[in-house]
Amino acid sequence: MNKPYWGLWSLLLAALVFFVVLSFWQDGIRVGGLDIKTATFARDLGARMTTHKQTADTADAEGLLPNGHHVKGWRAPMDTTAKSILFIGDSMLEGLAPRLAKYCDKNGHSLVEVIWYSSSTKVWGESGRLAELIAKYKPNYIFICLGANELYVPDIKRARRPHVKKILAEIGDIPYVWIGPPNWDEDTGINDLIEQEVDEGCFYLSANDSFERSRDGAHPTRPSAHLWMDRVVNWLNTTGAHPIRLEKPESGISRASHIVIYQPPV
Amino acid sequence: MILNEIDMTQLLSLLTFNRDEPMLFTSGLFWVLFLLFLPVYAMLKSRRKKMMIFVIAFSLYFFYKSSGVFFLLLVATSIFDWWVAQFIESSKNRTERRIALTVSLVFSLGILLYFKYCNFFMSNFEAVIGGNFQPMDLIMPVGISFYTFRTISYVVDVYRGKIQPVDDYLDHLFFLSYFPCLVAGPIVRSCDFIPQLQQNKPATREMIYGGLWLVMLGILKKAVFADYIAQYNNIAFGNPTGYTGFELLMAVLGFAMQIYCDFSGYSDMAIGLGSIMGFDLGINFNYPYRSLNVTEFWHRWHITLSTWLRDYVYIPLGGNRHGKVRQHFNLMVTMLLGGLWHGAAWTFVVWGAGHGVALCVHKLCKPWLDTIPSTRISRFFSWLLTFSFVAFLWIFFRANTFEAAGQVITGIFTDFEWAYLPVFLKRRFVWCLMLAIIYGLHFVPRRTWDYLRVRFIDAPWWLKLVIFIALIQLVLQFASATVQPFLYSQF
Repeated sequence: MNKPYWGLWSLLLAALVFFVVLSFWQDGIRVGGLDIKTATFARDLGARMTTHKQTADTADAEGLLPNGHHVKGWRAPMDTTAKSILFIGDSMLEGLAPRLAKYCDKNGHSLVEVIWYSSSTKVWGESGRLAELIAKYKPNYIFICLGANELYVPDIKRARRPHVKKILAEIGDIPYVWIGPPNWDEDTGINDLIEQEVDEGCFYLSANDSFERSRDGAHPTRPSAHLWMDRVVNWLNTTGAHPIRLEKPESGISRASHIVIYQPPV
Repeated sequence: MILNEIDMTQLLSLLTFNRDEPMLFTSGLFWVLFLLFLPVYAMLKSRRKKMMIFVIAFSLYFFYKSSGVFFLLLVATSIFDWWVAQFIESSKNRTERRIALTVSLVFSLGILLYFKYCNFFMSNFEAVIGGNFQPMDLIMPVGISFYTFRTISYVVDVYRGKIQPVDDYLDHLFFLSYFPCLVAGPIVRSCDFIPQLQQNKPATREMIYGGLWLVMLGILKKAVFADYIAQYNNIAFGNPTGYTGFELLMAVLGFAMQIYCDFSGYSDMAIGLGSIMGFDLGINFNYPYRSLNVTEFWHRWHITLSTWLRDYVYIPLGGNRHGKVRQHFNLMVTMLLGGLWHGAAWTFVVWGAGHGVALCVHKLCKPWLDTIPSTRISRFFSWLLTFSFVAFLWIFFRANTFEAAGQVITGIFTDFEWAYLPVFLKRRFVWCLMLAIIYGLHFVPRRTWDYLRVRFIDAPWWLKLVIFIALIQLVLQFASATVQPFLYSQF
């Protein structure tokens, strides 16, 4: 190998070694207030080399896998008791929550609605606000609608996975349904990410639904959002992992017992 | 113990074909493999035959990783066209030569039409007759548009007697499968490439480090600028009715820079890799947004494509040899095909047609335009008009549908307010800064770039390493940086 080729090769090798070593700091390195991002070599390789087989064979009698997720197709029996429901999310709740409130009125549930405008999994994950809300309102069922503000986030699985995990950790053992964003364009992976992280039967994929949009081209119109909520409830009681008593009311909306609004994060 | 934990199928999946993960020059896997490739290449460089076999094997693997078994199509095309070229050269019968050329063109274009345009033509046909067409799930082999044009130029040049066919099949396969040019060009001609391959001159220090410099510029353009700017453009073009005219105008300006950085960045990486390997692949972009008219723009934008279209479509159609009307017709046909080449959708056809009309208008007005004195003011307005027109046509190139393109245009012309400027600057400061940098860099003289390139080549090894690491870190920093999606938060 001639000298310039040797020089180039050693340069590339040195750079590779440098970034591979740094990649073991998977959450990045903080230097003087600046977050130094690291490459994903270690994480990617680790993910490919230590895949535990999570199969039905390893599930317990409750259908629970060693990783805490349920096996595919597992469903709890219908819970007909009155629920204290907490519904959190972004501005999509403006259309969804009033319709869910109508269901709650008919079926004897109480509903607390928390809209945090412009919020995302990152905002909720970093804030710890969900844990506070759970401590305050003590819900025994949770609805979440988040992801619409993250359709275009690059490298989203890396960037947002810790936040999705954090939200799920704050929910803990409380049964929940995560309603995916109503895509108006192809996303960069938010739906995949949520689906990968949530428990089996706890994610409603809205991306394939069709909506009538409001003037901003993104939010469903109110009637369209009400139909969206109807589809979520229908899915929950036919396919969802934690069905609860939610008989369909006549058309129309109602008001949650308590509504909390947070201004957009700065 | 660790081996018990290894899932070899997972590990192998990294190295096998995955349609969702084509191997690009910006991927970490490519650079890891290139690191293994480089020392072997360097050792075999002086032994031409062995070097060729090694590079061909690497190129075919590169193609396989992105397109699966369709790499065999490239091999089949290369065998067939090598044989056709030999036949054309040996035959003295003009009819036989024509038939051979026609068969070759039908074969090459047939494959391209099938994979790239089948769904497009079928859906249009079904739309006309009122059917219910379900698009076929076709995997389009990566780079098929580029290698098809390269093989066509080879056979046509042999037919025209411009070049001699290559005797050694490996030379032709090397040329056609050469991995730096495989995915996105440049569309290098056989007459420029094969002599370099046959001479097999050793790569000089200037070529190797000059190549690295170009690769780095390409990475900066593609992985930092283009990918970051694209975020906002995707958001705005994805939902035009949700944005004001000012925001949509910024998205159009952003897309003009995104596509330049994307195309030219990838070309720079390809040309740089070629240079590292000792090959001069020419230039593909020459400050296109400095152009003062549309004709000049096409002399500066995607040069290897525009010269290909000139030499193999426009001139065979008659060029300017049969009067003005025919010349304009030829220009329109060439640009329509050029538009369709970029993508199988009517929006691309409209984009090509727009450029065709502009080229015709410029040719018609040229005698009058030439009488205008060349002053700073006249040059400025020429530039402004040209850039505005080119940026306007990018709307059709970027929009997924005519409806979306219409919404963007309507938004710009009916809902435009300068009042959004300060908020836009504040909320998307980094995005604006990047746009300003790219526009600014466009007007840095070539001699400055040449000077920087020479300084980089002459820099000590450790400084080159620091610059390279700093660049890759910049890529990592921006890979997960997000652009504020909404000016006024509504979600």
